[in-house]
Amino acid sequence: MGVDRLIHEPARLSIMANLFVVESANATYLLQQTGLTWGNLGSHLTRLETAGYVAIEKGYRGRKPHTMVALTDEGRTAFRRYRAAMQEALGGLTD
Amino acid sequence: MTVMTHLPDLRALERQAFSKFYEDGLFDILLGLMMVAIAFGAVIQDWLASELASFAVMLAAAVVLVSSFTILRVRLLRPRLGDFKPRPERRRRITATRLVLLGSMVLGVVAFGIGGVAGGTGTPPATVEVLLPVVWFVNATVVLGLMAYLLDVPRFYLYGVLFGLVGPLLIWPDVLWGVRVPPPLAFGILAAPILAIGVWKLVHFVRTYPVRVNPEPEADLGDR
Repeated sequence: MGVDRLIHEPARLSIMANLFVVESANATYLLQQTGLTWGNLGSHLTRLETAGYVAIEKGYRGRKPHTMVALTDEGRTAFRRYRAAMQEALGGLTD
Repeated sequence: MTVMTHLPDLRALERQAFSKFYEDGLFDILLGLMMVAIAFGAVIQDWLASELASFAVMLAAAVVLVSSFTILRVRLLRPRLGDFKPRPERRRRITATRLVLLGSMVLGVVAFGIGGVAGGTGTPPATVEVLLPVVWFVNATVVLGLMAYLLDVPRFYLYGVLFGLVGPLLIWPDVLWGVRVPPPLAFGILAAPILAIGVWKLVHFVRTYPVRVNPEPEADLGDR
């Protein structure tokens, strides 16, 4: 089973894992959880969005722009597949 | 940067992310101030000899404290930790916590009413005096213990015991040795560690998590 290289990159793996355990989150939450900078987060999210793994929903809370990010069904499936592939690959290793 | 270089433990990640939202110390301070408010309610009851006035003061204090807590929490947490919508399992836990708190409030009001009726009808004080602290202790430890479990915040177990000890401390020394512990002292002694932890956590939280200033509007995310 091949490893999804898009998810395998550490920063994107962190974003995907953090989104996997919630339904949706905003950018500040993701920054806090991953330790990425605004610029890095934005570019990684764009790549994940282009791949169809995340959906970025822009809206307003009162008058302020409020953006929530969520994994798509495809993104959840891809992340599960990635975990299974990695567990299979690492499971066979000995000390 | 805390990017991942190995397979994450998703359950631990979810717990860590969620419980971080209780590291601000505000709930601790709220609980400590609620105890202080109850102590003042007891003092007012002695002054005015009116349980209704005491109940009104405690209710008003609870409304003011909970409203302030809710507003402060949003203003403190959102710019620092952000915002998220939990998964259904966590949402069920949050709902369960709210139900537990609601049930505890109803039980408290009923106990308050029974206490008043028993006092008015001349029920032997000894029965009330022995049982009330037990009910208080069990209620406090069960409610805060369940909150600790459901919200994954272990220090709430300790708060359950501290809050629960108020009842026995107020009543049993009087029954056993004839020593009356004034309510402000009983509540104060047990609320002090909770308030101290809360203030310490609040200071630590503000220092650890600065406000995140977005150099670009957040709405630009994903537009690159």
